[in-house]
Amino acid sequence: MTTVSTATAARPGNPKDPANGPQVGVTLYSFTNEWLSRQFDLAGLMREVAARDLGPNIEIIGFQNFKEFPDVSDAFADHFKGLIAETGLNPVSLAVNSDRFLRPGQTPVEDEFLVEYHKRQLRSAKKLGFDLVRYQFALPVHLLPEIVPYAEDLGVRMGVEVHAPMWARHPAVLAYREMYEKLDTPYLGWIPDFGGTARAIPPSLLDAARAAGARESLIDLVQEIWPGEGASHEKIGRLRERALADGHAPEHIQAVGLAFFILSNHDPKSWAEMVDRTIHIHGKFYGVNDDGIEEAVPYEEILPLFRDGGFTGTIVSEWEGHAYCTADAFEQVRRHQAMCRRIFAS
Amino acid sequence: MLPVERIIGEEGLAAREQGLRLAMRLPWYRSLPFSTVEVGALAIDGEAVDLADARVEFDDHSWTLAEMAEQIDAFWFVRDSAFLVVPGKAVAPGEDHAVTLTLFVNPPYIPGMKRHNTQTAQLRVQ
Repeated sequence: MTTVSTATAARPGNPKDPANGPQVGVTLYSFTNEWLSRQFDLAGLMREVAARDLGPNIEIIGFQNFKEFPDVSDAFADHFKGLIAETGLNPVSLAVNSDRFLRPGQTPVEDEFLVEYHKRQLRSAKKLGFDLVRYQFALPVHLLPEIVPYAEDLGVRMGVEVHAPMWARHPAVLAYREMYEKLDTPYLGWIPDFGGTARAIPPSLLDAARAAGARESLIDLVQEIWPGEGASHEKIGRLRERALADGHAPEHIQAVGLAFFILSNHDPKSWAEMVDRTIHIHGKFYGVNDDGIEEAVPYEEILPLFRDGGFTGTIVSEWEGHAYCTADAFEQVRRHQAMCRRIFAS
Repeated sequence: MLPVERIIGEEGLAAREQGLRLAMRLPWYRSLPFSTVEVGALAIDGEAVDLADARVEFDDHSWTLAEMAEQIDAFWFVRDSAFLVVPGKAVAPGEDHAVTLTLFVNPPYIPGMKRHNTQTAQLRVQ
Protein backbone atom coordinates (compact mmCIF):
# COMPACT_ATOMS: atom_id res chain seq x y z
CA MET A 1 0.00 0.00 0.00
CA THR A 2 1.34 3.40 -0.96
CA THR A 3 0.97 6.26 1.45
CA VAL A 4 -1.10 9.28 0.60
CA SER A 5 -1.90 12.47 2.37
CA THR A 6 -5.59 13.15 2.60
CA ALA A 7 -6.97 15.94 0.44
CA THR A 8 -8.18 17.68 3.54
CA ALA A 9 -4.71 18.08 5.04
CA ALA A 10 -4.43 21.85 4.99
CA ARG A 11 -1.55 23.40 3.14
CA PRO A 12 0.30 25.92 5.26
CA GLY A 13 -0.71 29.52 4.77
CA ASN A 14 -3.85 31.51 4.27
CA PRO A 15 -6.62 29.37 2.71
CA LYS A 16 -8.00 32.49 1.01
CA ASP A 17 -4.84 32.55 -1.09
CA PRO A 18 -5.54 30.44 -4.20
CA ALA A 19 -2.14 28.80 -3.86
CA ASN A 20 -3.10 27.31 -0.50
CA GLY A 21 -6.85 26.77 -0.55
CA PRO A 22 -9.33 24.79 -2.64
CA GLN A 23 -8.61 24.38 -6.36
CA VAL A 24 -11.10 24.79 -9.21
CA GLY A 25 -11.63 22.68 -12.31
CA VAL A 26 -14.36 21.32 -14.54
CA THR A 27 -16.12 18.05 -15.23
CA LEU A 28 -16.60 17.33 -18.92
CA TYR A 29 -20.17 16.36 -17.95
CA SER A 30 -20.88 20.09 -18.16
CA PHE A 31 -20.52 19.75 -21.93
CA THR A 32 -23.05 16.94 -22.34
CA ASN A 33 -24.99 18.85 -25.02
CA GLU A 34 -21.87 19.42 -27.10
CA TRP A 35 -20.82 15.80 -26.62
CA LEU A 36 -24.15 14.16 -27.47
CA SER A 37 -24.61 16.34 -30.54
CA ARG A 38 -21.16 15.29 -31.76
CA GLN A 39 -19.80 18.84 -31.89
CA PHE A 40 -16.64 17.53 -30.25
CA ASP A 41 -14.88 14.21 -30.04
CA LEU A 42 -12.80 13.54 -26.91
CA ALA A 43 -9.61 15.12 -28.27
CA GLY A 44 -11.54 18.14 -29.53
CA LEU A 45 -13.34 18.64 -26.23
CA MET A 46 -10.14 18.38 -24.18
CA ARG A 47 -8.40 20.86 -26.49
CA GLU A 48 -11.35 23.27 -26.22
CA VAL A 49 -11.36 23.12 -22.41
CA ALA A 50 -7.62 23.78 -22.34
CA ALA A 51 -7.81 26.58 -24.93
CA ARG A 52 -10.54 28.33 -22.94
CA ASP A 53 -8.44 27.96 -19.78
CA LEU A 54 -11.20 26.08 -17.93
CA GLY A 55 -8.74 23.52 -16.55
CA PRO A 56 -6.23 22.32 -15.88
CA ASN A 57 -8.12 20.17 -13.35
CA ILE A 58 -10.70 17.95 -15.02
CA GLU A 59 -13.11 15.19 -14.11
CA ILE A 60 -14.34 12.70 -16.69
CA ILE A 61 -17.24 10.25 -16.46
CA GLY A 62 -15.78 7.01 -17.76
CA PHE A 63 -19.10 5.88 -19.18
CA GLN A 64 -19.62 9.19 -20.96
CA ASN A 65 -16.34 9.86 -22.74
CA PHE A 66 -14.57 6.48 -23.01
CA LYS A 67 -16.08 4.02 -25.45
CA GLU A 68 -14.16 1.03 -24.10
CA PHE A 69 -15.26 1.63 -20.49
CA PRO A 70 -15.48 -0.05 -17.98
CA ASP A 71 -12.27 -1.58 -19.39
CA VAL A 72 -9.66 0.32 -21.38
CA SER A 73 -7.03 -1.06 -23.74
CA ASP A 74 -3.35 -0.19 -23.61
CA ALA A 75 -3.74 1.61 -26.92
CA PHE A 76 -6.55 3.82 -25.61
CA ALA A 77 -4.69 4.55 -22.37
CA ASP A 78 -1.67 5.66 -24.42
CA HIS A 79 -3.92 7.86 -26.59
CA PHE A 80 -5.53 9.47 -23.54
CA LYS A 81 -2.24 10.08 -21.77
CA GLY A 82 -0.97 11.66 -24.97
CA LEU A 83 -3.94 14.04 -24.95
CA ILE A 84 -3.27 14.91 -21.31
CA ALA A 85 0.36 15.66 -22.12
CA GLU A 86 -0.58 17.72 -25.19
CA THR A 87 -3.29 19.81 -23.50
CA GLY A 88 -1.62 20.19 -20.10
CA LEU A 89 -4.86 19.13 -18.41
CA ASN A 90 -4.72 17.42 -15.02
CA PRO A 91 -6.92 14.31 -14.65
CA VAL A 92 -8.02 14.72 -11.04
CA SER A 93 -11.12 12.55 -10.92
CA LEU A 94 -12.69 9.71 -12.88
CA ALA A 95 -16.41 9.26 -12.23
CA VAL A 96 -17.24 5.55 -12.07
CA ASN A 97 -20.74 4.14 -11.77
CA SER A 98 -22.12 1.76 -9.17
CA ASP A 99 -24.58 0.15 -11.59
CA ARG A 100 -26.34 -2.36 -9.37
CA PHE A 101 -29.80 -2.40 -10.98
CA LEU A 102 -28.75 -3.80 -14.33
CA ARG A 103 -31.42 -6.37 -15.06
CA PRO A 104 -34.87 -5.71 -16.49
CA GLY A 105 -37.21 -4.12 -13.98
CA GLN A 106 -34.13 -2.67 -12.21
CA THR A 107 -33.48 -6.08 -10.64
CA PRO A 108 -30.06 -6.01 -8.93
CA VAL A 109 -27.06 -7.99 -10.13
CA GLU A 110 -25.22 -10.38 -7.84
CA ASP A 111 -22.78 -8.89 -5.31
CA GLU A 112 -19.86 -10.67 -6.94
CA PHE A 113 -20.60 -9.04 -10.30
CA LEU A 114 -20.92 -5.61 -8.71
CA VAL A 115 -17.62 -5.94 -6.84
CA GLU A 116 -15.81 -6.93 -10.02
CA TYR A 117 -17.58 -4.10 -11.91
CA HIS A 118 -16.00 -1.64 -9.48
CA LYS A 119 -12.57 -3.28 -9.69
CA ARG A 120 -12.61 -3.04 -13.49
CA GLN A 121 -13.31 0.68 -13.28
CA LEU A 122 -10.64 1.20 -10.61
CA ARG A 123 -8.09 -0.58 -12.82
CA SER A 124 -9.05 1.64 -15.72
CA ALA A 125 -8.72 4.76 -13.57
CA LYS A 126 -5.18 3.78 -12.60
CA LYS A 127 -4.28 2.91 -16.17
CA LEU A 128 -5.49 6.31 -17.42
CA GLY A 129 -3.61 8.27 -14.76
CA PHE A 130 -6.42 9.11 -12.30
CA ASP A 131 -5.79 8.59 -8.58
CA LEU A 132 -9.32 9.43 -7.43
CA VAL A 133 -12.68 8.00 -8.46
CA ARG A 134 -16.25 9.03 -7.78
CA TYR A 135 -18.56 6.13 -6.90
CA GLN A 136 -22.22 5.97 -5.83
CA PHE A 137 -24.50 4.90 -2.99
CA ALA A 138 -26.01 2.22 -5.23
CA LEU A 139 -23.06 0.17 -3.97
CA PRO A 140 -24.37 -1.59 -0.83
CA VAL A 141 -22.18 -0.49 2.05
CA HIS A 142 -21.42 -4.05 3.16
CA LEU A 143 -19.44 -4.58 -0.06
CA LEU A 144 -16.97 -1.77 0.64
CA PRO A 145 -14.56 -4.01 2.61
CA GLU A 146 -14.23 -6.22 -0.49
CA ILE A 147 -13.30 -3.30 -2.74
CA VAL A 148 -11.25 -0.92 -0.62
CA PRO A 149 -8.13 -3.10 -0.27
CA TYR A 150 -8.03 -3.28 -4.08
CA ALA A 151 -8.20 0.53 -4.33
CA GLU A 152 -5.49 0.84 -1.69
CA ASP A 153 -3.21 -1.51 -3.62
CA LEU A 154 -3.75 0.55 -6.77
CA GLY A 155 -3.26 3.82 -4.88
CA VAL A 156 -6.68 5.14 -5.99
CA ARG A 157 -8.91 7.03 -3.54
CA MET A 158 -12.66 6.46 -3.67
CA GLY A 159 -15.19 9.20 -2.96
CA VAL A 160 -18.88 8.40 -2.74
CA GLU A 161 -20.99 11.14 -4.29
CA VAL A 162 -23.40 12.71 -1.80
CA HIS A 163 -26.02 13.66 -4.37
CA ALA A 164 -29.65 14.69 -3.87
CA PRO A 165 -31.69 13.33 -2.18
CA MET A 166 -28.70 12.41 0.01
CA TRP A 167 -27.25 14.85 2.51
CA ALA A 168 -25.14 14.76 5.67
CA ARG A 169 -27.79 13.10 7.83
CA HIS A 170 -29.48 10.83 5.30
CA PRO A 171 -29.65 7.24 6.65
CA ALA A 172 -27.49 5.94 3.78
CA VAL A 173 -24.84 8.56 4.53
CA LEU A 174 -24.88 7.64 8.21
CA ALA A 175 -24.45 3.95 7.35
CA TYR A 176 -21.50 4.82 5.11
CA ARG A 177 -20.06 7.06 7.84
CA GLU A 178 -20.11 4.14 10.26
CA MET A 179 -18.31 1.92 7.74
CA TYR A 180 -15.81 4.69 6.94
CA GLU A 181 -14.99 5.03 10.63
CA LYS A 182 -14.59 1.28 10.94
CA LEU A 183 -12.31 0.94 7.90
CA ASP A 184 -10.52 4.20 8.78
CA THR A 185 -8.49 4.66 5.62
CA PRO A 186 -7.54 7.83 3.73
CA TYR A 187 -8.59 6.02 0.55
CA LEU A 188 -12.28 6.55 1.34
CA GLY A 189 -14.07 9.87 1.42
CA TRP A 190 -17.03 12.02 0.43
CA ILE A 191 -17.72 13.90 -2.77
CA PRO A 192 -20.40 16.48 -1.97
CA ASP A 193 -22.74 17.49 -4.78
CA PHE A 194 -24.41 20.74 -3.87
CA GLY A 195 -27.70 19.87 -5.54
CA GLY A 196 -28.71 18.35 -2.20
CA THR A 197 -28.77 21.78 -0.55
CA ALA A 198 -30.50 23.96 -3.13
CA ARG A 199 -32.58 26.93 -2.03
CA ALA A 200 -35.06 26.57 -4.90
CA ILE A 201 -35.81 24.75 -8.11
CA PRO A 202 -33.72 26.59 -10.72
CA PRO A 203 -35.90 29.20 -12.46
CA SER A 204 -34.22 28.13 -15.71
CA LEU A 205 -35.64 24.60 -15.23
CA LEU A 206 -39.14 25.96 -14.74
CA ASP A 207 -38.73 28.26 -17.76
CA ALA A 208 -37.71 25.25 -19.85
CA ALA A 209 -40.83 23.37 -18.73
CA ARG A 210 -42.97 26.40 -19.63
CA ALA A 211 -41.30 26.58 -23.04
CA ALA A 212 -42.09 22.88 -23.53
CA GLY A 213 -45.75 23.65 -22.90
CA ALA A 214 -46.22 23.01 -19.18
CA ARG A 215 -49.08 25.10 -17.77
CA GLU A 216 -48.59 27.54 -14.92
CA SER A 217 -50.71 25.39 -12.60
CA LEU A 218 -48.14 22.57 -12.97
CA ILE A 219 -45.28 24.99 -12.25
CA ASP A 220 -47.13 26.08 -9.10
CA LEU A 221 -47.76 22.47 -8.08
CA VAL A 222 -44.11 21.39 -8.36
CA GLN A 223 -43.01 24.44 -6.39
CA GLU A 224 -45.54 23.57 -3.70
CA ILE A 225 -44.51 19.92 -3.38
CA TRP A 226 -40.70 20.14 -3.86
CA PRO A 227 -39.82 22.03 -0.64
CA GLY A 228 -42.25 20.03 1.52
CA GLU A 229 -41.68 17.16 3.91
CA GLY A 230 -41.01 13.59 2.79
CA ALA A 231 -38.60 11.57 0.67
CA SER A 232 -38.03 12.62 -2.93
CA HIS A 233 -39.62 9.48 -4.37
CA GLU A 234 -42.74 10.08 -2.26
CA LYS A 235 -42.93 13.68 -3.38
CA ILE A 236 -42.60 12.83 -7.05
CA GLY A 237 -45.33 10.23 -6.55
CA ARG A 238 -47.59 12.95 -5.14
CA LEU A 239 -46.71 15.25 -8.02
CA ARG A 240 -47.56 12.59 -10.62
CA GLU A 241 -50.84 11.71 -8.94
CA ARG A 242 -52.08 15.26 -8.57
CA ALA A 243 -50.78 16.46 -11.94
CA LEU A 244 -52.38 13.56 -13.83
CA ALA A 245 -55.65 14.18 -11.98
CA ASP A 246 -55.43 17.83 -13.09
CA GLY A 247 -54.98 16.74 -16.70
CA HIS A 248 -51.30 17.63 -17.21
CA ALA A 249 -49.43 15.78 -19.96
CA PRO A 250 -46.97 13.05 -18.92
CA GLU A 251 -44.11 14.74 -20.81
CA HIS A 252 -44.69 17.97 -18.89
CA ILE A 253 -44.78 16.06 -15.60
CA GLN A 254 -41.48 14.36 -16.56
CA ALA A 255 -39.97 17.78 -17.35
CA VAL A 256 -40.77 19.32 -13.95
CA GLY A 257 -40.32 16.00 -12.10
CA LEU A 258 -36.62 16.11 -13.00
CA ALA A 259 -36.24 18.53 -10.07
CA PHE A 260 -36.88 15.72 -7.56
CA PHE A 261 -34.04 13.59 -8.92
CA ILE A 262 -31.39 16.30 -9.11
CA LEU A 263 -32.23 18.69 -6.25
CA SER A 264 -33.31 18.78 -2.65
CA ASN A 265 -33.43 21.58 -0.10
CA HIS A 266 -31.46 20.37 2.92
CA ASP A 267 -29.56 22.79 5.15
CA PRO A 268 -26.44 24.13 3.34
CA LYS A 269 -24.61 24.41 6.67
CA SER A 270 -24.93 20.63 7.11
CA TRP A 271 -21.94 20.18 4.76
CA ALA A 272 -19.75 21.26 7.69
CA GLU A 273 -20.27 17.76 9.12
CA MET A 274 -18.62 16.22 6.06
CA VAL A 275 -15.64 18.50 5.44
CA ASP A 276 -13.11 16.34 7.25
CA ARG A 277 -13.53 13.39 4.88
CA THR A 278 -14.27 15.39 1.74
CA ILE A 279 -11.73 14.49 -0.95
CA HIS A 280 -13.28 16.18 -3.99
CA ILE A 281 -16.34 18.32 -4.77
CA HIS A 282 -18.94 18.47 -7.52
CA GLY A 283 -19.81 22.13 -7.91
CA LYS A 284 -23.29 21.45 -9.21
CA PHE A 285 -24.95 24.51 -10.74
CA TYR A 286 -27.65 25.56 -13.18
CA GLY A 287 -27.10 29.20 -14.08
CA VAL A 288 -24.69 31.90 -12.90
CA ASN A 289 -26.15 35.32 -13.67
CA ASP A 290 -24.42 38.53 -14.76
CA ASP A 291 -23.82 39.42 -11.11
CA GLY A 292 -21.94 36.16 -10.51
CA ILE A 293 -24.69 34.52 -8.44
CA GLU A 294 -25.87 30.93 -8.97
CA GLU A 295 -29.65 30.82 -9.27
CA ALA A 296 -30.45 27.75 -7.12
CA VAL A 297 -27.47 26.76 -4.94
CA PRO A 298 -26.29 29.11 -2.12
CA TYR A 299 -22.55 29.04 -2.83
CA GLU A 300 -21.90 32.03 -0.56
CA GLU A 301 -23.00 29.91 2.39
CA ILE A 302 -21.41 26.64 1.33
CA LEU A 303 -17.92 27.32 -0.01
CA PRO A 304 -16.48 29.04 3.10
CA LEU A 305 -17.33 25.90 5.10
CA PHE A 306 -14.91 23.88 2.96
CA ARG A 307 -12.24 26.58 2.67
CA ASP A 308 -12.19 27.24 6.41
CA GLY A 309 -12.46 23.52 7.20
CA GLY A 310 -9.13 22.90 5.47
CA PHE A 311 -10.30 21.40 2.17
CA THR A 312 -7.53 21.74 -0.43
CA GLY A 313 -8.82 19.36 -3.08
CA THR A 314 -10.62 20.37 -6.26
CA ILE A 315 -14.14 21.62 -6.86
CA VAL A 316 -15.08 20.80 -10.43
CA SER A 317 -17.71 23.02 -12.02
CA GLU A 318 -20.64 20.81 -12.96
CA TRP A 319 -23.20 22.61 -15.09
CA GLU A 320 -26.36 20.51 -15.30
CA GLY A 321 -28.61 22.91 -17.17
CA HIS A 322 -28.08 20.66 -20.18
CA ALA A 323 -30.72 18.35 -18.68
CA TYR A 324 -33.31 20.90 -19.81
CA CYS A 325 -31.71 23.67 -21.92
CA THR A 326 -28.98 24.48 -24.42
CA ALA A 327 -27.32 27.53 -22.87
CA ASP A 328 -23.61 28.03 -23.60
CA ALA A 329 -21.94 25.54 -21.25
CA PHE A 330 -18.45 26.98 -21.74
CA GLU A 331 -19.64 30.46 -20.70
CA GLN A 332 -21.53 29.02 -17.73
CA VAL A 333 -18.44 27.16 -16.52
CA ARG A 334 -16.30 30.29 -16.91
CA ARG A 335 -18.77 32.25 -14.76
CA HIS A 336 -18.99 29.49 -12.16
CA GLN A 337 -15.24 29.21 -11.76
CA ALA A 338 -14.98 33.00 -11.39
CA MET A 339 -17.70 32.88 -8.73
CA CYS A 340 -15.92 30.12 -6.79
CA ARG A 341 -12.60 31.99 -6.90
CA ARG A 342 -14.31 35.18 -5.72
CA ILE A 343 -15.95 33.43 -2.76
CA PHE A 344 -12.80 31.52 -1.79
CA ALA A 345 -10.80 34.79 -1.76
CA SER A 346 -13.41 36.80 0.13
CA MET B 1 -35.57 18.94 -28.59
CA LEU B 2 -32.52 18.58 -26.37
CA PRO B 3 -29.60 16.40 -27.44
CA VAL B 4 -30.42 14.06 -24.53
CA GLU B 5 -33.96 13.61 -25.88
CA ARG B 6 -32.89 12.61 -29.36
CA ILE B 7 -33.62 8.94 -30.03
CA ILE B 8 -33.80 8.81 -33.84
CA GLY B 9 -30.16 8.74 -34.93
CA GLU B 10 -28.36 10.90 -37.47
CA GLU B 11 -27.91 7.90 -39.79
CA GLY B 12 -31.68 7.78 -40.31
CA LEU B 13 -33.76 5.10 -42.03
CA ALA B 14 -32.40 2.61 -44.55
CA ALA B 15 -33.82 -0.20 -46.66
CA ARG B 16 -32.42 -3.55 -45.74
CA GLU B 17 -33.15 -7.04 -47.15
CA GLN B 18 -36.95 -6.92 -47.26
CA GLY B 19 -36.98 -4.79 -44.19
CA LEU B 20 -35.74 -1.61 -42.59
CA ARG B 21 -32.91 -0.38 -40.45
CA LEU B 22 -33.39 2.64 -38.18
CA ALA B 23 -30.63 4.50 -36.33
CA MET B 24 -31.32 5.02 -32.62
CA ARG B 25 -29.58 7.27 -30.10
CA LEU B 26 -29.49 6.60 -26.37
CA PRO B 27 -31.49 9.32 -24.54
CA TRP B 28 -29.17 9.59 -21.54
CA TYR B 29 -25.96 11.43 -20.70
CA ARG B 30 -23.74 8.33 -20.45
CA SER B 31 -23.28 4.89 -21.94
CA LEU B 32 -25.47 2.15 -20.49
CA PRO B 33 -25.63 -1.63 -20.67
CA PHE B 34 -28.19 -2.65 -23.28
CA SER B 35 -30.14 -4.51 -20.57
CA THR B 36 -31.30 -1.18 -19.16
CA VAL B 37 -32.85 0.01 -22.43
CA GLU B 38 -36.16 -1.11 -23.92
CA VAL B 39 -37.44 -0.52 -27.42
CA GLY B 40 -40.99 0.46 -26.54
CA ALA B 41 -42.64 0.90 -29.92
CA LEU B 42 -42.10 1.78 -33.56
CA ALA B 43 -44.67 3.23 -35.94
CA ILE B 44 -44.29 4.01 -39.63
CA ASP B 45 -46.75 6.57 -41.00
CA GLY B 46 -48.82 6.16 -37.87
CA GLU B 47 -49.09 2.39 -38.13
CA ALA B 48 -47.60 0.24 -35.35
CA VAL B 49 -44.81 -2.07 -36.51
CA ASP B 50 -44.62 -5.60 -35.12
CA LEU B 51 -41.27 -5.94 -33.35
CA ALA B 52 -41.48 -9.71 -32.71
CA ASP B 53 -38.63 -10.39 -35.18
CA ALA B 54 -36.77 -7.14 -34.59
CA ARG B 55 -33.08 -7.08 -33.75
CA VAL B 56 -30.78 -4.44 -32.33
CA GLU B 57 -27.33 -4.10 -33.87
CA PHE B 58 -24.38 -2.30 -32.33
CA ASP B 59 -20.84 -2.61 -33.67
CA ASP B 60 -20.36 -6.37 -34.17
CA HIS B 61 -23.34 -7.38 -32.01
CA SER B 62 -26.84 -8.37 -33.08
CA TRP B 63 -29.55 -9.30 -30.58
CA THR B 64 -33.26 -10.00 -30.54
CA LEU B 65 -35.05 -7.67 -28.14
CA ALA B 66 -35.28 -10.52 -25.61
CA GLU B 67 -31.55 -11.17 -25.92
CA MET B 68 -30.83 -7.46 -25.55
CA ALA B 69 -32.52 -7.50 -22.13
CA GLU B 70 -29.84 -9.95 -20.96
CA GLN B 71 -26.87 -7.79 -22.00
CA ILE B 72 -25.66 -6.50 -18.64
CA ASP B 73 -22.06 -6.33 -19.84
CA ALA B 74 -22.38 -4.90 -23.36
CA PHE B 75 -22.49 -1.13 -23.46
CA TRP B 76 -24.26 1.31 -25.76
CA PHE B 77 -21.67 4.08 -26.16
CA VAL B 78 -23.66 7.23 -25.70
CA ARG B 79 -22.16 9.05 -28.66
CA ASP B 80 -22.88 6.25 -31.15
CA SER B 81 -26.06 5.03 -32.78
CA ALA B 82 -27.41 1.52 -32.36
CA PHE B 83 -29.63 0.17 -35.15
CA LEU B 84 -33.10 -1.31 -34.98
CA VAL B 85 -33.52 -3.86 -37.76
CA VAL B 86 -37.04 -5.01 -38.65
CA PRO B 87 -36.98 -7.78 -41.29
CA GLY B 88 -40.72 -7.86 -41.86
CA LYS B 89 -41.28 -4.22 -42.70
CA ALA B 90 -40.29 -3.34 -46.25
CA VAL B 91 -39.35 0.20 -47.28
CA ALA B 92 -37.76 1.37 -50.53
CA PRO B 93 -34.95 3.89 -51.07
CA GLY B 94 -36.25 7.37 -51.83
CA GLU B 95 -39.57 6.96 -50.02
CA ASP B 96 -40.53 9.42 -47.30
CA HIS B 97 -41.97 8.12 -44.05
CA ALA B 98 -43.05 9.50 -40.70
CA VAL B 99 -41.19 7.41 -38.13
CA THR B 100 -42.20 7.36 -34.46
CA LEU B 101 -39.93 5.59 -32.02
CA THR B 102 -40.33 5.09 -28.27
CA LEU B 103 -37.49 4.07 -25.96
CA PHE B 104 -37.49 3.45 -22.23
CA VAL B 105 -34.34 3.87 -20.13
CA ASN B 106 -33.97 2.43 -16.63
CA PRO B 107 -30.88 4.12 -15.10
CA PRO B 108 -29.09 1.32 -13.22
CA TYR B 109 -28.10 3.37 -10.16
CA ILE B 110 -31.30 5.39 -9.63
CA PRO B 111 -33.98 3.07 -8.19
CA GLY B 112 -37.47 4.02 -9.31
CA MET B 113 -36.46 6.10 -12.32
CA LYS B 114 -37.78 5.04 -15.71
CA ARG B 115 -37.53 7.53 -18.53
CA HIS B 116 -39.90 7.51 -21.50
CA ASN B 117 -38.81 9.12 -24.73
CA THR B 118 -40.78 9.32 -27.96
CA GLN B 119 -39.69 11.07 -31.13
CA THR B 120 -41.27 11.43 -34.54
CA ALA B 121 -39.23 12.36 -37.59
CA GLN B 122 -39.94 12.62 -41.30
CA LEU B 123 -37.24 10.49 -42.92
CA ARG B 124 -36.25 9.66 -46.52
CA VAL B 125 -35.24 6.03 -46.91
CA GLN B 126 -31.60 5.55 -47.91
